[in-house]
Amino acid sequence: MKEDERREALENIELIKELVLQTKKHVGSYGGGWISIIWGIFCLTGVAGQRLLITHGALVGVWWTVLTIIAGLGTYLVHKRHLKTEPIKLQNNYLRYFMRFWIPLILLGYTLATFIALLSILSDQYISIVILLVVSTGYIMIGLMFFRGILYMGIIGYVSSIICAILFLEFSDIILGSLFGVGLIITGLVINKQWKNT
Amino acid sequence: MEEHLAVKLNKTIHQKARLGIMSILVASEEVEFNYLKEKLNLTDGNLSSHLSLLEKEKYITIKKKFVKKKPKTLCQITEKGRQAFEEYLENLEKIIRSLP
Repeated sequence: MKEDERREALENIELIKELVLQTKKHVGSYGGGWISIIWGIFCLTGVAGQRLLITHGALVGVWWTVLTIIAGLGTYLVHKRHLKTEPIKLQNNYLRYFMRFWIPLILLGYTLATFIALLSILSDQYISIVILLVVSTGYIMIGLMFFRGILYMGIIGYVSSIICAILFLEFSDIILGSLFGVGLIITGLVINKQWKNT
Repeated sequence: MEEHLAVKLNKTIHQKARLGIMSILVASEEVEFNYLKEKLNLTDGNLSSHLSLLEKEKYITIKKKFVKKKPKTLCQITEKGRQAFEEYLENLEKIIRSLP
């Protein structure tokens, strides 16, 4: 009798674990795929525009600021749409939590870029390196707290930013913009695929 | 005489379908009826009766609303439900630990 009880208890614990995990996975990837794709396109468009349309000067800053506003708006719209249509609502609204985390980091990146541009502390070519080091730090922090996959992306971003600063400074914006852009788009596609399977 | 540990298990939660419902609800804030139906492989009538029982015990709340003119039934776990679920888990663990 006791052995039956134990077997049933183990079965129930397995069932609970599986359902809780599935639900959390579904909730965790809540719109994150599309948001990742938006920011991946932001990186690629930003670098392409910077190189092809605007070569230097204050317009570069305006270009990136306009793109940031568009990507931010896109992120907000994806979030709103998912809140309306998703069958599960979040317990601790992860997305809002991440937004609170990313907005100060983006502001930090812009402040550092502005300082570099205005005070001529470093060459303008270092702006993309500094911003991507800040973004990579964000990835590492989120990776350490939540998702291992994001931690690896942060480490790759950090290392490649330093390598670019040392060896390919002139092309660092193209290399890093493409790396982050493609990385984010792939991440987004993977998240969307996982989400469909939950 | 020692009370059987299984007797202590909450019968409302112990039933497989209701255990599934509670497990999903405990990990989220609000869940749609159709999501539960699909995940737990239950019919409309079956799920409704399990939800009614859980609602009667005040473990969950059920509300209906319209999104783009379509009716939606949303389920949410209550504080009482969360406590009952935690207690149920503790008792399951006791059962497992009680045997060599």
